Amino acid sequence: MTTNNTTLLDSIDPEIVQTLAKRQNEIANGAGTNSKLTAALALGSIPVALAALSKDVYGQSASDVLDVLQFALLLEYLEAEFYNRGVQNATVMGIPAADLPIFTTIQAHENAHVAALRAMITAKGATPIAKPNFDYTAKGNVPGFNFAAGQYATFQVLSQAFEDTGVRAYKGQAGRLINDKATLTAALTIHSVEARHAAEIRRLRNLKGWITGRSRDDLPLFTQPIYDGENNASQAGILLLPLGNNNGGGEAVTEAFDEPLTKDQVTAIVTPFLA
Amino acid sequence: MPEKKTMVISSAEQLLDAKTRRNFLKLMGAGGAVFFLPSILTACSDDDDVTGPAFGQPAGSGPAVVIDFSRGDVAVLQYAYALEQLEADFYTRVVAAFSTSTFSAGERVVLTDVKNHEVIHRDAFKAILGPSNDFTLNTTYGNLNFADRTSVLATARTFEDLGVAAYNGAAQYLTVLANLELAGKIVSVEARHAAVIRDLIAPKSSSQGDSGTSFAPKAFDDAFRPGKVVPLAQPFVVEVLTPRNAPATFVQGPNNNG
Repeated sequence: MTTNNTTLLDSIDPEIVQTLAKRQNEIANGAGTNSKLTAALALGSIPVALAALSKDVYGQSASDVLDVLQFALLLEYLEAEFYNRGVQNATVMGIPAADLPIFTTIQAHENAHVAALRAMITAKGATPIAKPNFDYTAKGNVPGFNFAAGQYATFQVLSQAFEDTGVRAYKGQAGRLINDKATLTAALTIHSVEARHAAEIRRLRNLKGWITGRSRDDLPLFTQPIYDGENNASQAGILLLPLGNNNGGGEAVTEAFDEPLTKDQVTAIVTPFLA
Repeated sequence: MPEKKTMVISSAEQLLDAKTRRNFLKLMGAGGAVFFLPSILTACSDDDDVTGPAFGQPAGSGPAVVIDFSRGDVAVLQYAYALEQLEADFYTRVVAAFSTSTFSAGERVVLTDVKNHEVIHRDAFKAILGPSNDFTLNTTYGNLNFADRTSVLATARTFEDLGVAAYNGAAQYLTVLANLELAGKIVSVEARHAAVIRDLIAPKSSSQGDSGTSFAPKAFDDAFRPGKVVPLAQPFVVEVLTPRNAPATFVQGPNNNG
């Protein structure tokens, strides 16, 4: 820390300085943070970092909340249209009658999420983003997929990919809503429903309802970023692996906690699905 | 009805003091309330302790366990720790009863996984809370038959749905990002459990609503305030769950039922 910075810090609440110093250590140890804060700390600029931190930790702004809602709306559009088309083409795709209630249920929920998010955005005086056009082949990563005959298995694969992504995406944005309790609570009640969807489709596919390690199971390679980081076994700075002794081992420790994805990570996953 | 008397026990030494002990027993006989500060509860957890309630005693017959929300984030984590203690205990007993129960092989895998997750959640909170982890809840399940598949799954569903609603409702009390993130990491796993348990009860059901049997019975999960969660959890707890100083305002979720 330079002399100049020390002088500047003298006029700042010591608690904030302490928090920043702690945060700096955490970041040095690889903690996630916003890119401006990382950049500022890399430059060794405490005052700039303080400015970034004020947004990172204290006082997520109204524009942050709107950004989260619009981002969530994009994901829900992606899911809603996927299930709308899936249910519409259930017969041709060959979805068995016994399985169809799963997808009509999820379809109804995703459309309700779209409507709720649009209403929340409008209530905050903004305009909901328009639904983009989607490419469910993900730029050819899912070759030829078009809700067509014989593609039910692929439909299930995409469903699992979208639901597991949705859980991690909402989780990653919750912190930006910490000062807007109504939006936070609404987002969390969607987040856990996405987790229910994910568990159900995973069961339908004869998988565990939860994610073990960073395994994508039988999903194609391009979906690996949806599962990367799920093998984290430390929570609140404590390595929890010993808790797996006689309790399913390290695999159970990773299953017991779902991990967030950053907005950038989710954007990278979703972008191939934008036509 | 005369006003109930209360006493506060803050150290184990107090219990060894003859006068305290006499007053304690007298107060219990009169239906009074005794509050144990968190530091005392570990000392009281042994079954042979004069104050230590044991498994299977009537719900609410034990001493109060106070969760004081004026402590902020710590109280929310204690609240979660309390709920995870119940879930961990329940599934541990479910798995222990496998030799007499009728679960299929696949169901045993599911229930063993859930047991592992809930024990890990409980022990994680115990580690994270550090000195504030010092209370142990004793459970009671009335006449629940752990060998009976239908009864066990119905109770499991209650625990999982309640857990989801509790985390969703308590998140608004958290002020530290790391704690909100931790709660988020757990609640979605509870929701996965809820969906799987529900699918064991009513496979592939689309039935919606409060009494719906679907894996996901609502487009938005419930978010309950502690004052709504505690009465639903209390039937399984010997101690008296006592939330204190919960914030007056509760921000409802989309279902507006918390």
